[in-house]
Amino acid sequence: MKKTVIAVLCSTLLAACATPTRYVDPAADDGPVTMTMDYRDFERAADAAVQDLLTSGAVDNPSGERYIMVVSRITNDTMQRIDTDQLVKKIRVALLRSGKVITTTAVGLNGAEDAMNEKARELRNSDEFDQSGVQKKGTLKAPDLSLSGKIIQRNHKVEDEQQVEYYFQLSMTDLTSGLAVWENETPIIKRGSNDAVSW
Amino acid sequence: MQENTMFRTLSRVMLVALMATGILVTSACVPLEPQREYVQRDDLQVDPEIRQALTVSELLQSRVDLPGGGSLLKIQFSVKGYQNVDMEWKATWFDAEGMVVPGVGEGYNTARVMQNQTRFFTASAPNERAVSFQLHLREDR
Repeated sequence: MKKTVIAVLCSTLLAACATPTRYVDPAADDGPVTMTMDYRDFERAADAAVQDLLTSGAVDNPSGERYIMVVSRITNDTMQRIDTDQLVKKIRVALLRSGKVITTTAVGLNGAEDAMNEKARELRNSDEFDQSGVQKKGTLKAPDLSLSGKIIQRNHKVEDEQQVEYYFQLSMTDLTSGLAVWENETPIIKRGSNDAVSW
Repeated sequence: MQENTMFRTLSRVMLVALMATGILVTSACVPLEPQREYVQRDDLQVDPEIRQALTVSELLQSRVDLPGGGSLLKIQFSVKGYQNVDMEWKATWFDAEGMVVPGVGEGYNTARVMQNQTRFFTASAPNERAVSFQLHLREDR
């Protein structure tokens, strides 16, 4: 009985000391900076890339129509296990909102990003489906532009601190000519304690 | 007895006078913070915490013509540091109706401005609909 009371008291005390879980407002996040890449780094890299891309005029179609973009390979050459979609999705959303570019999900290096593009077409000639609603042949749009890139990480020791450099490199290729019509590199450099882990 | 009381009163008066002089001399030695001029503008907000450390010396805007015939609002501002300061800045864009035009994110850009250094920053609107902006500068948190 005595032991149980002590255990309950200890756990209550420990729980009282624990940092409470709370939501973070990205617009007013005064939390400490991490040596690894966090959402703020992806946001900064994407913001810098989109501003540069839009003002460059590379994605402004003289015909007034939106360009169709496909996402090619974005290589993660860092020591961290990250999903490059954290960067790509922000760029895609911003470009779509700009009214200049729309992304196709019917083409991808490893097949269609959305496999339903193909699956929906397999319904052709099926007696079970009203054929007036089934996608006709030749309706998919081919991409005009391709987005590719690489995220690089370099670590350095600076006296008793470490410096971690991240480079977000992006290219936009005109698929008609194969020429890179826009290129950008956003460096994000952090310096901190040697004890901090950057992988 | 009366002399004694007078002496005490005089001593007190002298002590108070000495203290007042000391305070005045000490306060005269404290370097005064120069008052920076801050002009209130709709398109610029500088938090009071960093007004003494820097000043926005210019804030320009122009529209960048695009091949498709449209144009994008672009701003450039320069910041002069009176001392080394870490600051954050962010531009918010508005359309003709005053509604916010969303960009990539909501975060602030960080920058370090050294003493006597003038740094130039640029930002461009995320959409052609943007016709005005508000620039916010605050202390680095």
